[in-house]
Amino acid sequence: MSAPFGKVLIANRGEIAVRVIRACRELGIRTVAVFSEADRESLHVLRADEAVPIGPPPATESYLVIAKLIAAARATGAEAVHPGYGFLAENAAFAQACLDAGLTFIGPPPAAIRAMGDKMAARRVAGRLGVPVVPGTEQPVSDDAEAAGVAARVGYPVMLKAAMGGGGKGMRLVRAPGELAGALRAARAEAAAAFGDASVYVEHYVEEPRHIEIQVLADAHGGVVHLGERECSIQRRHQKLVEESPSPFVTPEMRRRMGEAACRVAAAVGYVNAGTVEFLVDRDRNFYFLEMNTRLQVEHPVTELVTGRDLVRDQLRLAAGDKLGFAQDDVTLTGWAIECRINAEDPFAAFMPSPGTVTALRAPGGPGVREDTGVYAGCTIPRFYDTLMAKLIVWGPERDAAIVRMSRALAEYTVQGVRTTIPILRRILAHPDFVAGRLSTGFMERLLAGDAPEQAGRHRRIALIAAILTAYQRADRPAPGAAPSATPGPWRQALRPGWRNR
Amino acid sequence: MKFEAQTGGETLPVEVVGAAGRFTVTIGGEALTVDARETAQGIWSILLHSTSAVAAVTEQDGTYLVDVEGERYAIRVEEESRYIIRTRGGHGGARGQVLKAPMPGKVALIEVTVGQPVVPGDGLIVLEAMKMENEFKAQVAGTVKEIRVAAGQPVNPGDVLVVIE
Repeated sequence: MSAPFGKVLIANRGEIAVRVIRACRELGIRTVAVFSEADRESLHVLRADEAVPIGPPPATESYLVIAKLIAAARATGAEAVHPGYGFLAENAAFAQACLDAGLTFIGPPPAAIRAMGDKMAARRVAGRLGVPVVPGTEQPVSDDAEAAGVAARVGYPVMLKAAMGGGGKGMRLVRAPGELAGALRAARAEAAAAFGDASVYVEHYVEEPRHIEIQVLADAHGGVVHLGERECSIQRRHQKLVEESPSPFVTPEMRRRMGEAACRVAAAVGYVNAGTVEFLVDRDRNFYFLEMNTRLQVEHPVTELVTGRDLVRDQLRLAAGDKLGFAQDDVTLTGWAIECRINAEDPFAAFMPSPGTVTALRAPGGPGVREDTGVYAGCTIPRFYDTLMAKLIVWGPERDAAIVRMSRALAEYTVQGVRTTIPILRRILAHPDFVAGRLSTGFMERLLAGDAPEQAGRHRRIALIAAILTAYQRADRPAPGAAPSATPGPWRQALRPGWRNR
Repeated sequence: MKFEAQTGGETLPVEVVGAAGRFTVTIGGEALTVDARETAQGIWSILLHSTSAVAAVTEQDGTYLVDVEGERYAIRVEEESRYIIRTRGGHGGARGQVLKAPMPGKVALIEVTVGQPVVPGDGLIVLEAMKMENEFKAQVAGTVKEIRVAAGQPVNPGDVLVVIE
């Protein structure tokens, strides 16, 4: 197969930029990285064939500046732009700007991004197609009285959501009519601050739901297939921590129906390239359309491991105008894959972000283990971007085998210099509910509400020895200014209720 | 060499002898023969009898945070002589609160003014880092004596943000 492009610019950073570079390398495509002043030594810059500086560290002055990205593509002679996820990946104006500059945007057409970007318009599309949606408003509520009326009609509890929302911003759960007015005010203010649009809509809140999404691929010739589901119910504050494919909850019949629904939505908006249709699933296995993400997902590798496909390679091919080249019946799911997100956050200190220099790093390996990372020993994780530093993905012939493999791989993973989510991921993987496949979006809240992490645990003696020998070594050659302060870590307490995403 | 190790509300007398990876560590009267190597900065490989363990040690405000197999222990280790001086010297400076930045970030919001009385739980300052923000609260009752940063200002770990008296 000839390469779909000669040169591709990757309008992103971190692990996803590295992931895209890998696919390009295998296809014989030259790569162009872009980097802010904080990312000169980041892994994606080291791995790319060419690298172009695009400005100061804040994303608003670099990774989010469309003109700089287009200029970098032009200057290097790139023919296509891969947006990764986040930043400008779901920005229709960016996709359009690429097309206007004669560049291929490796993603859906701008019209499809727009059609799915407005969450309420997306719900209307799904509703028209006969795809179930959670009962709620199809237009933003105009005032408190209307919101109260809708809430009463769809039934409490209700969820207030920002029309232009994402990442949990502008969302409020309301359990009783008395809480509605205050929650509306807060959701509107947050939506206005985050998205510049205070529109909020109201929908029924599905209790203890599962979050299950369908991966779709569409070509420019009318071909649409789905690649099964991913279960992403393990979330903290609407941020996914662990994902898997298939879902332990989805039956073949349900997969067929969800997959057909997802393909119907994709076809209806003229979708081309890789996309994901998200559903909420209640205890009775009813599924409701939530939204469509018009980009590659963070958790795409679990789908790759069970389908045997390379989704970034598929994205490149489809963007170049290739046909899918396979049909729905050719898609099979083999075995089980799990992904853990390794974030630079301290799970022992309310998930405080932990930027800094990675002083030591030992990544796991061995059978069935894949690591998609954006870091290396000696690199510095900047404080300007999100905390995702790496993803650990494992495959096993069945779910139990994948779980023990992930536990084994997490135990091998050693990171020093920054704090990571590895300890909490180990607790999740060992939890009886996780092992039994009893998942819901409330899982993390219950896990974290439980007793403090195994403080009085099994390894106290080893920990004491390590601490004592560190002190012994220091006493030999005293560190400058290392006089201990009077109270240990007073800010740890002050951290409640914890870091939230902006 | 003698130390006092404090963890989980317990204080244990400790003695260490040895060098070059071979140590005898006596903890609370129990003598352990240990083969321990620091294989990377702060990462110890410890062989205790035939058990092989890896522990990661970082220091924070005079306390060692030790991660072993997904568990974390906060352990304060002091030389015995220093421990005795400190504990006999009574409690100095335990009043008030000096809020320091725990990590690099930016001041998103300052919620108090100098001279303002605060009670435990009052919001003092909001820090932003890595697209997340968090409010730091007063832990003691008192008066805001100093605010050493301004909104929008970048801060580094250990920078004093707010002093309460």
